[in-house]
Amino acid sequence: MPKLSLQKKNFFVLFTLLLTFALLLVGCGEKTSNSSSSQENDKAEESNTESESSSREITHAMGTTTIEGTPTKIVTLYQGATDVAVAMGIKPVGVVESWAEAPVYNYMKNELDGVAIVGQETQPNLEEIAKLKPDLIIASKVRHEEIYDQLSQIAPTVAHETVFDFKGTAEMMGQAMNQEDKVNELLGDWDTRVADFQAKIKEKLGDKWPFHVSVVNFRADHARIYVTGYAGSILSELGFQGPKNLTDDSLEIVKLTDKESITQMNADVIYMFMENDETVKKTYEDWTNHPLWKELDAVKANQVYQVDEINWNLAGGITSANLMLDDIYDKFELEK
Amino acid sequence: MRIILSSTPMKQIGLFISCLILLLAFIFSIAIGQTSIPFSSIYDAIFHFDAADKEHVIIRTSRFTRAVIATVVGASLAIAGALMRALTRNPLAAPDILGINAGAIFFIVSAITLFSVQSLMSYMWIAFLGAGAAGAMVFFLGSLGRDGLTPIKIVLAGAAITALFVSFTQGLLVIDEQGLQSVLFWLAGSVSGRSIEMLVPVLPFILGVTVVAIFMGRSINILQSGDDIAKGLGQRTMLTKITLGIIIIILAGSSVAVAGSIGFIGLIVPHMAIQLVGTDYRWIIPYSAVLGAILLLSADIAARYVIMPLEMPIGVMTALIGAPFFIYIARKGLAKNA
Amino acid sequence: MPNYVSVRTKTNRISFQIAKRTAWILLLLSLLLILITVLGLSAGSEFIHPVTVVKELLGYGNGDYDFVLHTLRLPRVLMALLVGAALGVAGLILQGIIRNPLAAPDIIGITSGASMGAIIFIVYFMGSVSIQFLPLAAILGAGIVSFIIYLLSWRKGVTPIRMVLIGIGISALAKAVVTMLLVISNVAATTKAYLWLTGSLYGANMQDVYLLLPWLVILMPLTFILARTVNVKELGDEIAIGLGVKVQVYRLLFLLISVMLAGSAVAFAGGIAFVGLVAPHMSRMLVGRSFAGLIPVTAIIGGIIVIVADMVARTAFLPKDLPTGVFTAAIGAPFFIYLLFRTRNQ
Repeated sequence: MPKLSLQKKNFFVLFTLLLTFALLLVGCGEKTSNSSSSQENDKAEESNTESESSSREITHAMGTTTIEGTPTKIVTLYQGATDVAVAMGIKPVGVVESWAEAPVYNYMKNELDGVAIVGQETQPNLEEIAKLKPDLIIASKVRHEEIYDQLSQIAPTVAHETVFDFKGTAEMMGQAMNQEDKVNELLGDWDTRVADFQAKIKEKLGDKWPFHVSVVNFRADHARIYVTGYAGSILSELGFQGPKNLTDDSLEIVKLTDKESITQMNADVIYMFMENDETVKKTYEDWTNHPLWKELDAVKANQVYQVDEINWNLAGGITSANLMLDDIYDKFELEK
Repeated sequence: MRIILSSTPMKQIGLFISCLILLLAFIFSIAIGQTSIPFSSIYDAIFHFDAADKEHVIIRTSRFTRAVIATVVGASLAIAGALMRALTRNPLAAPDILGINAGAIFFIVSAITLFSVQSLMSYMWIAFLGAGAAGAMVFFLGSLGRDGLTPIKIVLAGAAITALFVSFTQGLLVIDEQGLQSVLFWLAGSVSGRSIEMLVPVLPFILGVTVVAIFMGRSINILQSGDDIAKGLGQRTMLTKITLGIIIIILAGSSVAVAGSIGFIGLIVPHMAIQLVGTDYRWIIPYSAVLGAILLLSADIAARYVIMPLEMPIGVMTALIGAPFFIYIARKGLAKNA
Repeated sequence: MPNYVSVRTKTNRISFQIAKRTAWILLLLSLLLILITVLGLSAGSEFIHPVTVVKELLGYGNGDYDFVLHTLRLPRVLMALLVGAALGVAGLILQGIIRNPLAAPDIIGITSGASMGAIIFIVYFMGSVSIQFLPLAAILGAGIVSFIIYLLSWRKGVTPIRMVLIGIGISALAKAVVTMLLVISNVAATTKAYLWLTGSLYGANMQDVYLLLPWLVILMPLTFILARTVNVKELGDEIAIGLGVKVQVYRLLFLLISVMLAGSAVAFAGGIAFVGLVAPHMSRMLVGRSFAGLIPVTAIIGGIIVIVADMVARTAFLPKDLPTGVFTAAIGAPFFIYLLFRTRNQ
């Protein structure tokens, strides 16, 4: 064992240094903390006057929450909720950082201009959220189960089971924000569009409809098929069927490492998305230059399209779902 | 110790038979998997390739590459393990246990996430660097104190350095969900889906140092008799040790660059080789190479079946086979024979 | 020697001596700990003046910071302290009985066992079972794995060296299972699992504190009392097998304490690295080798390390709140390397 001993003198020097440092911090901090706390008080008074006295009970993934009046200052803790809020015409007071194009996705950049970022979706900063004094928090059970109690102490919090179910998110937010009409309108528009798409695609493709579809994603060291989840559920709502030769359809995402598995991607149409990154491009080139890739029905029929990773996977909201549907209209050359 | 193959002709025959088994494992690795392929197709795919034949295509583009990578990585890791064992005189020394793999992985991950390095060629050099850094730290840490490099100390030093680099790697990836999702399989160790282009830049290095290692068998034997005796016999022990170190780093570093972290091959195989041919490194090294390749090929075949239809990462597979073996050696009493 | 301070109860049942130097250092460290605790409470996305913090804590505040201080920061700082102290002492015990400066709970398998339990829970049970049971799964994992390690190490008694090696082997096995689960689970579970593996005090609440506190309140004094009755160094001897059953029993007791300390800390904070390795070294630099004196010093230093690491994690990259484990490694590793460097010159 190494012989270790720190001389007394060194220790005291270290200690004094730390002490000085601490005192310095104390000295500098005094003024700022006073001024900011008085600002906070003003804000709190403002928001108190706004509340009305209609209370609703909302049942969600983490229990039942009572919400008074119409919340105006909401914080959204997952991408889909942020998207839905913006779609409803409401700018949240705080949102979590986006997975790409940080801090917020480009398609919402204008609407979210200057919004407070409260950290990452996986560990949103509770103090930042509290500082905003929201009157409603939209969370997700998969991400925020452990902090649900603390969130509830900041503001009434409703949580959705997952992060990718844009309809469920919208319905829950509509109830919580006392704006069910607005949400019904958004979802109604969506349903109309879905019906419109189905009519047009049937007309165009005739007997060949329904198509099998694969949503394919390339990563630095493997490839994926997104089966259910966000894109998958939208595509199946539109009437598409899943990949033709999938060996296991219980999985949300099928991760493939061996190019031999390319056959599992087989479908009439393939949408693929990937990160803009050299190593990912390399994987993409490797897989798409493979002879088996050329065997796929979609490739033979020239029905492979590269789509936007954010709209098709990372965003998980209603606006992004509409953008995704736009893409599908465009690729099938249908009239919108 | 009881040696199974004691005379030279027997060792030669044994090596020949091992090579045959290797060939067999190689062929099996090509033949079985998601789609079974008859052996005749393998022959045809090599000698009468037909681009329209799906089986031929799978063999040429996927299965063959995979088998080659498993062979090369298995052999490299096993030789690296044997040399580490010689260098540290420790039956538990292996590139993964002594933190060398973890070092290479951390260096590559930080190159990707912090410095956006994206060329395969640079991954290799970065892996060498990481392997070297970790190796040096472990060697140094293990030799502190009065009693020098005892097996237990070096293994603990390896575990500590592994913990160090693993937690750094975690730190980099935990705040980058997308990045983590992208390298999952490589982190876990995987020979599947690697393209042959990844192997090409490292192959000359691996082959070069393997040849050197085989020719160093005699000097390693002398080194085994102890530094003093080796010096007395006119060996420049420091030079020998440094050369061995470089060979280990190149072998382990390239394996990580190609296939990620695959553990325990470097532990089990040299042990088996010693059981077969005794402590003569002129034989241990070639035997390790062949047996290592066989072991990784078989592990890779098994990995395709354990959780059908998914594939188990091969790094997990080797750990499941290797860890019990490690425990077995540890139980047998390391302190006495080292 | 005159350099000792005697502490005894009236009945003389519990009495011990502490070197004067140790007593001084303990006093100074306690002050430092208080200072850092207050600083930890002050720091956050909004800096609260330390004086205000103290006032609020003592109940003389105006309640402005009730929520941020009492609900968010206090449990986090307290958890950091408890976790750090537990990990530090767990490491100290292991280094003592294994007689190797590199032994630590995260190296010899205790943490990997807890990780395996936690990740199995995250991948298979999260969503259907409340996340409150995650610590239970982790501590079960730590307990079961440690038991297996002990069992496998048994061969006419357990020698520490064999146990370390078997711990490393079992640890590799547990890590393989974790890797496997990371690869096959869905995206959200993988991220959550990875966060856990790195170690994070995020979302700590008072309930966690109340659940973790009893372990320390019982185990720390127990360690101290045991350390007075047994010569710990003796337990590390290979030949100690010859010393008979008593050594085996004490060794098992110490191990059990170490497992419980590390297991309970890890259960709540995840795989926080390096504290168990580094804190004992730091305290040895300060107070030498008396095991009994080392216990409180190590506990305090461990606590300080984790509080500081968590403070940095919470504030350095605002508004992001990062996992604590990233920064315990960042504090621990340089010290570790410094240790290497230092001993080279000797």
